[in-house]
Amino acid sequence: MKKILFLTLLSILSVPVVGQSYYSETGTAQFTSSVPLHNFTGTSESLVGMIKLEDMSVDFYIDLETLDTGNAKRDKDMLLTLETKKYPFGEFFGKITSEFDASSSEEQPVIVEGNFTIHGQTKEVKIEGTLTNTDEGLLVKAAWILNLDDYDIVPPKLLIIKVDEEQAIEIEALLKPVEEG
Amino acid sequence: MKKINLSLILILFGMQTLFAQMQRTRAVQDGPVDELFLIGSIAGMSTVTNLEANNLNSTIMHNFGSVNGGLEDFYGLDLGASVRLGIDYGISDKLSVGIGRTSLEDNVDLRFKYTLLRQMKSDKIPVEVAVKGDVGITTQENTIFEDFTFTERMNYFASVMIARQFNEKITLQVAPMISHFNTVVDEGNGLPNHTHFAVGFAGRIKLNVRNSLTFEYLPVLGERTAGTKNHLALGYEVETGGHVFQMFFMAGRWFTEQHLLARNTDDFFAGDFRLGFNVNRIFSLGKK
Repeated sequence: MKKILFLTLLSILSVPVVGQSYYSETGTAQFTSSVPLHNFTGTSESLVGMIKLEDMSVDFYIDLETLDTGNAKRDKDMLLTLETKKYPFGEFFGKITSEFDASSSEEQPVIVEGNFTIHGQTKEVKIEGTLTNTDEGLLVKAAWILNLDDYDIVPPKLLIIKVDEEQAIEIEALLKPVEEG
Repeated sequence: MKKINLSLILILFGMQTLFAQMQRTRAVQDGPVDELFLIGSIAGMSTVTNLEANNLNSTIMHNFGSVNGGLEDFYGLDLGASVRLGIDYGISDKLSVGIGRTSLEDNVDLRFKYTLLRQMKSDKIPVEVAVKGDVGITTQENTIFEDFTFTERMNYFASVMIARQFNEKITLQVAPMISHFNTVVDEGNGLPNHTHFAVGFAGRIKLNVRNSLTFEYLPVLGERTAGTKNHLALGYEVETGGHVFQMFFMAGRWFTEQHLLARNTDDFFAGDFRLGFNVNRIFSLGKK
């Protein structure tokens, strides 16, 4: 009898907790870069993201070749700098470590902690953002500063003109509820 | 025991499902091969690489006198420069138009480049093909002819450029081409040809992400003006933050192909070549 109870308990524990997950592959990611005399922005509408509320996991990635700065030469130069043929993705995988009330429809500040990877380098990061549980899904907004040097990214420079080491990153995505299959 | 093992597998499977990352998939599975060449020309010969929509390329092209003068004229640098200033603009991702002025004979040229095919990463289309047309006019005040008319001052060029990037390092281009001058001048070698045909060759060997070796060779086919030689250039290119710098040794003095075919009298292999460099800067005038 004890054996049966033990096996039943194990079986229950082994089944993934069924809870709400949210997913999108049309989120927006944007970076703003500074060079002397002007700034430029690169944008992608192909941010892929998933948040699972049952374990508070947060998983986002972007195909870096979808970033568009509006200048073809600069785009190609950026892809060369990021070595996208070798490292095609920028990605984050971590957890929401602050309180989040999924029953509230208010915009709530949250903190996520995890690993951000780009250019083949992974660093632990702590990012502040907001989550809003809307009728359509979970609206995610976040912004942080990425230091190129931390990820061994060496921007090209012309004489003394060079791209600022610090890049302002912003993401926004409306993650739709995933129907459990 | 078997039941316990089964349960352990289920636990591990369940945990993995819960904490697993999503499978990473590329947003763009196929697409055109990027940058068969870094920019739209090498030293003087055009490449299949075209400007994208709303991008403007400003170019400053220079070369100096022949290096075979040695130290006396500082390997040609004391002999004055031939310069072409130009701009090209991408009307669409396939069509660009441009204008330039060369200091030699004050030649002003209008040109276009149209991309017919893009080489695809999947090799579904294995080559990139573009056509180019260039119409030039000599605007220099002329002392040879009393009445040098507008039509007589015209020169023309057309080519079909076919290129392939064979791997990440090597790109080769072949380009049948034709040039025509409405007026030619006998400079003592017999009556020059108005029209020349050639099959041009160009290539790029990528050394690393920002540096390449390049060449261009324009062998004239069939009849040609006496005393003219096939143009050759060997170059080194550096890409840095929106600029492309090109340094080269070239036989011809011109940066327009019609002149390189019909007017070059320097033989690269006899040491008659000159140092040159081009600076290209691309500006974005709007979203793609």
